[in-house]
Order: sequence, then C-alpha cells, then structure tokens
Amino acid sequence: MPELRPILLVEDNPRDLELTLTALEKCQIANDIVVARDGAEALDFLYLSGSHAGRDAGDPAVVLLDLKLPKVDGLEVLEKVKRDENLRHVPIVMLTSSREEQDLVKSYELGVNAFVVKPVEFNQFFKAIQDLGVFWALLNEPPPKLRQVGGN
Amino acid sequence: MSGSRSDLDTCAREPIHVPGAIQPHGSLLVLDPDGLALLWASANFEGITGRTPIELLRSVEAGLRDWQATGTHTYRTRLQHPDLDMAAHVHQGRLIVEFERSTPVFQNELLFRLTGFAQQMTATEELGNALSATACLIADLTGFDRALVYRFDPDWNGHVVAEAGNGTLPSYLGLRFPAADIPAQARNLYSLNRIRLIPDANYIPVPLTAFGEQRDAGGIDMTFTQLRSVSPIHLEYMRNMGTLSSMSISVMVDGKLWGLLSCHSRNPHRVPSDIREACDFAVQSLAMRISADSRAETAALGVELARVHTGLLAAMAQAGRWDEGLAGAPAALLELTRSHGATILSQESFLPVGEVPEEHHVRRLVSRLSQHGAATDFYFTDSIASEFPQDEGFTDGTCGVLALRISEVEDSWLIWFRQEVVKAVTWGGNPHKVVQESGRIHPRKSFEAWREMVRGRSAPWHPAEIAAARDLRSSIVEIVLKKAEQLARLAADLQKSNRELEAFSYSISHDLRAPFRHIVGFSQLLTEREKNLGERSRHYLQMISDSALAAGELVDDLLTFSHLGRAAISADKVDMNKLVAEVRRGLAEETAGRSIVWQVDHLPVATGDATLLRQVWYNLIDNAVKYTRQREEAHIKISANATDDGVLYRIADNGVGFDMAYKSKLFGVFQRLQRSEDFEGTGIGLALIKRIVERHGGSVDAMGKIDEGACFTFSLPALPEE
Repeated sequence: MPELRPILLVEDNPRDLELTLTALEKCQIANDIVVARDGAEALDFLYLSGSHAGRDAGDPAVVLLDLKLPKVDGLEVLEKVKRDENLRHVPIVMLTSSREEQDLVKSYELGVNAFVVKPVEFNQFFKAIQDLGVFWALLNEPPPKLRQVGGN
Repeated sequence: MSGSRSDLDTCAREPIHVPGAIQPHGSLLVLDPDGLALLWASANFEGITGRTPIELLRSVEAGLRDWQATGTHTYRTRLQHPDLDMAAHVHQGRLIVEFERSTPVFQNELLFRLTGFAQQMTATEELGNALSATACLIADLTGFDRALVYRFDPDWNGHVVAEAGNGTLPSYLGLRFPAADIPAQARNLYSLNRIRLIPDANYIPVPLTAFGEQRDAGGIDMTFTQLRSVSPIHLEYMRNMGTLSSMSISVMVDGKLWGLLSCHSRNPHRVPSDIREACDFAVQSLAMRISADSRAETAALGVELARVHTGLLAAMAQAGRWDEGLAGAPAALLELTRSHGATILSQESFLPVGEVPEEHHVRRLVSRLSQHGAATDFYFTDSIASEFPQDEGFTDGTCGVLALRISEVEDSWLIWFRQEVVKAVTWGGNPHKVVQESGRIHPRKSFEAWREMVRGRSAPWHPAEIAAARDLRSSIVEIVLKKAEQLARLAADLQKSNRELEAFSYSISHDLRAPFRHIVGFSQLLTEREKNLGERSRHYLQMISDSALAAGELVDDLLTFSHLGRAAISADKVDMNKLVAEVRRGLAEETAGRSIVWQVDHLPVATGDATLLRQVWYNLIDNAVKYTRQREEAHIKISANATDDGVLYRIADNGVGFDMAYKSKLFGVFQRLQRSEDFEGTGIGLALIKRIVERHGGSVDAMGKIDEGACFTFSLPALPEE
C-alpha cells in the first residue's frame, strides 16, 4: 500500500471550506487534509517555506485549488507549480464557483489536471468532492517522480 | 452648321495683327527703341504731317526720350506747327509712333458732358438705363449714325442690348450675331487695345517704306497700333452691313471682354482722338458700373444662398446622416442651386428629389465623370448633350448638370439637374448660312433678322450658385468626418462598457453563486444531522434549500443569457435528430413514471452552434414535459418542414397551453404565464430560446390554447447571416 500523501485544499471562503471538508470527511478518505487559506500559504506548503518550513517533506496527492484567492490567486499558484521542474507532477484540480470560459481556457493552457465547477445543489456538490477525493487520493497512480513523504 | 465652323476657321487663321500696312487717316513711324533709328515710315507720311520722317523725328526725339525714361506704356501728346496728335508705344522690340491731324475740340464742353454722364451712371438703378445712356453719349459725342452696346454671351455670340442713333441706319436692338462675326484673335486684340477706328471702309491700305536696308514690313506687330489696317474680310462685312465707317471700344469688366461699344455710319466718318479718349473714359465708367452691379447681384444671391445653406446644415444635423438630411429638405436642396431636381447617389443608393433623369442615365454620367479622374470632383454644364455627344441624352428634358463628388472612396455624389430652357433668339441674319464665292468664304450678305429656337440648354449656373454648391460640399465633408470621429469615439466607449459588463458578470457568476451553494449545503447538512426535526421544520428547511437552488439556477440562466449577446456563434452542420435524442435521454429522470407518447419525425440538418441549439431543444422539450405533467397521457410531437429560406422546427404538446392574449409576453425575460408554485422555472427559458434563434438569423413563434396545449416553432435560415 502506498503511503498516504495529504490532500492540499486551498480555499479562502470559510463556508465553502466547511462544506468541502464535510464532504471529504464523508467519503472516508484516510489521507490528511491540509488547508491553506490563500495562494501564498499554498505555495508555502508546496515549497516548505514560511509557516510550513518545518513540515514533513513530500508532495501532496492532489491540490484542490480555488480559483479566486487572496494574495496570490489560483491561476498564479497553478502557473508557478506547473513551471517548476520539481512540482509540475503534482496534480492540480481547479475548483471554481463558475464556468467562466476565460478561466477554463487559461487553466488548461497552464496545464491544470482537472477543472471542476462547484454545483449549487448540495448532493451534487458532495458527490463531486467525494469523486475528486477518491479519484486523486486513491485511484490515481502518481508519477514515480512524485516526492515521497519522508523522502529527501 | 459645318459651314459656319469653317467660316470661323478661315477668319481665325488670318494674322490680323501683322497687316504690314496702315489706314490712310494717319501716318506712322517705326523706330528702334534704343537708338531711335528710323526703320520704317508709312508711305503717306509727308502727306499727313507736311514733314519728312527725319525732320519730324528730330523735333519729337527729346519728348520720346523723356517718355521712355518714365517707363509708361503709351505716350500721347499734341504737337503744334504742324498741328498733330501723336501717340507712341513700344511693342515687340519696336517703337511705333503714330500721327493724326489734330482737330480742335471744345475741352470745357467735353468735360461738362462727361460729368453729367458720370452722374447718370451712379443715379440710375437699372443697368439697362446705364447702357442706353452710354450709347446716347457716344453717338452724340462722335456723331456716328448709330451706337450699339454689344454684349458677348459665354459662347461669344453677340447680343445688342442698347442702341442710340439718328435713324440713318437700321436698328439692331435685340439682335444676336454669331460668334464667328468677331473671331477669337480679333477679340483677343480688343482685350489688349480698347479703341479701333475705321473712318472709311473703302480705304486703300498705306504700305510702309523701309529706311536704310530693306526689311519686310509684314513682321511688324501692330496689336497696339491705332492705325492698324484691318482685315479685308472685315471691310467686306462692313460694306455688307451698309456702313462705311466704324469705331468700337472694348468694355472690359474685371479684366474680361464683356462687350463692345460699336459705332457705325453709312458714310465715311472720322473721330478726333480727343473725342475717342472721352468715349473710352465713358465706356470704362460703364464697365465699372457693370462690374459693381454684377458684384452686388452675386453678393445678394450669396446671402440668400447662405440662408438656404444654413437650413440644409440644420436638416443634416437633425437627420444624423447627411444624405437623408438633404433628401428630407427637398425644397432647400433645390433652392440652393435653383435646380429642378437633385439626387444623392452612391453605389448602393439613389435618392431622387424633384425632376431627376432615370437612374441608369445618371449612373452612366457618373461613370463618365469618374473616367475623367480627380479633376471631376466638381463639374457643371448647362448643356450635357454637347459635353457627351456620344451618349444618348437624358430623356426627361434635363440639360444642366452640377455634380459634386462627396467621397471618392464610397463614390458618392450629389448632383443637381436643370431642365431645358427653350430660348427664342433673334439673329442678325442666319448664323448657319455661309456664302461661298470662288473658293473663298465671305461673311453673310444678309442681315435680315433670323429667329431660331435654342434647344438643349438649361439656364447657366450662376457663380454664386456654384460657390454655394462648393460650400455645401465642404459642409458635407466636414459632417462626414465629424460623424466618423463620433462613431470611433462611440465604438471606444462601447468597448469600454462591454469590458466593464464582462467584469461585472464575471464577478456575479463567481460571488453570487457561492452563497446560494452555502445555503443549500448547510440546510441539507442540518436536515441530515437533526433526525428528530418535526415535519414542518423539515418542510421549512426544504423551502430554504429549494429557494436557494432556484436562485442559483437563475444566476446561471442569466449568465448564459447575457453571455449569448457577445459569444461568437459557430456555423457547423448540426444533426437535430441527435440533439433531440440526447435531450430526451437527459430528461429521463423527469419523465420516469410518466406516460408520454412521443412522436418525433426525422429532422433536417441545421447550420449553427450545436451547444446553443441543444439549449433550445432542451428548454422546449423540458417545457413540453413540464406542462403536460397533469395529463394522464401526454402527447409530444416534434417535427419540421423546409420553407423558402430554411427550415421550420416545431414542437407541440397537449399540456396546459396558454392564453394567446399573453403571447407577446411569452418570450420576454422574467415573463411567466404560469404560477411558479404550479410550474417551477426561472422565467428565462423562452427568452433564451428567442435570443439563440435570433442570433442564428431565425425567428420564434408560439400558438396555444388554455388546457389544450401549446405549439412552439423556430425557424433557422439555410445559411446563417454571420
């Protein structure tokens, strides 16, 4: 059994955060959920800097990234990660409130792995989050280059 | 007609300024202007002056040198012993000195007469009176039998407009004389040298005798010589007219030959040089009067036309488009150039006002003008048929054309038209008749009045009207430019507000959806968590959740709707059968447990945006399913048929239908004909359909009857407009 890598959830809205966490809880995924409240914090986690300077090494199984974020927004985080030789293999799922064409286009240009519009209907929303968690945390086979937890 | 042409040509070729001889009523010396060396003298020199050329030259030499020092053009003086009037001028490198016997004139009386005349010139209001007064004065001063004021028309035909005389000679008042009577090179001489005198048409020309080495006197240019011997053709013309003496004085108005003061006597008649000078003075006073009158007339017309111009400007400003503005003010447009018709013409449009020739004739004219190149931005004629003789003329009687090119890029023109003015002209003899004797063409021998109807001409365009047309062109060009600037500014503004609108809808889509999602999510969580909630509490929570869900859908629909306004529509082949099948599968949940009889015909392929057309079918089929909910057995029929310009798709149901009285509200945004508690929905669905179909270049329609069902149709053109 592969080691369980954490899921990085980047979400600034507390209500969305609570709903998303509830949904992830319900699908009984064993992975840790790390929450970052803005893009800067997300980058800190990925680069092991700032408040995450001392964390255990290793890349997350997936980053669930909200598009609109304070400080550094989702697209900027995406761009930075996908341009980084060492981080580009980390799967990133864009979670957004709306299907705005330009965001969709831009995200795929930058190399996003999936783009999900949060459904208004709760059951659909739950289902979407659970599907994402199960798929990326359990089903998806990560690339070998992904840095292992506790690795160098 | 061809005869008069050759008549003119024959006369026009005669080199009348170098006759090599003079008339016998005076004598002449030709000198070298530098050394005053004697080159020629007229053969009659001693007979006129009583001195030999050398003797007389010696006595006037000092005076000539003094005059040469002043640099003035002519030198006139009166000699005594012998009593001679002397005139000198330099032309073409020769100093020409003329002598005539002087005749005593009562200078005081002459002055008195001229003063009275000048008063008359300023006092009389009518130009006609001034012309008559001049003719009278000249006839009186000179003693000629008849004095005529002879006016040139634009084609150089002459028209006798005033006359005075003692009745010896027939009256020519009102007669016209063809241009050939005074050929071009003669008119040219008249412009340069204002006075000509022929005391006796039967004179024998006096040759010039060379002094020193022999030279040909034919080379002496006598343009400014008073004694110049005239053309034998002219002398024949005079004899034909029954006049043996004549004098003419040019009426020069603003530097152009306006006409002549033409005097004749039946018998030989001589006029002393003092009197001739006085006549010249009187005629030039008349010329000033004519000039002033014409300026005043032009100015008055200019003021009037400026008023009309202002009205047209206002009309153009109001209409927004210059062409529609002008066409909307037909009276002023025609008044500006006093025309009978006008048209505003571009490649696409032809706006006629008043009497306008047929469009294909006008377009041919425009293509003729365009062939001439850039110089024809402005063109006018009062006889279009003579300008383009190869074309069949306008058939509606139009002769005058005044054309302005407004834009070369758009090839747009503003053209005015004038109808033919049939003029009765009384000629002094048939101008088309040519008398030919032994190979040589002679002027007419008949001066019987000859009436002719002049056809193919409109009234000529007045300079003030031409100026007004030019001014209007500038105004239009200014308006067009200003309009282009405004449009550019407007486009920039629109782009800006479009960008703002996009930013706005972006933030709505993002920020407005989230709270609805939260409300739905947390009410659902609460329902799940509190297992012991009463029925009513659960109902309330469901209401909260449903409302938030509906609001979320509303936001989604509104966004789709507003997005449609700016989204590009693709034009692909769309299989409508496939779309309908997909939509029906998508509605499986709603139709489960219902008894619906579907009748779906084969549908023709459409051209358009598959995603949007799917939306159309989705909304229509969803409606049909929704509004037949209360039927035990629902019937939904989908069909299509080809029309003249595309395909008409149709969906009919046996649902609740609607009242045709509210049909107009059916396709509006937020318009509902059903209570929302009976049938859910955002009220945007049909508006969205309408917008999608219209963006495809089609249209929507609906028919219904309460409780019996509804039928919705939408048409799509065979090829979309975009």
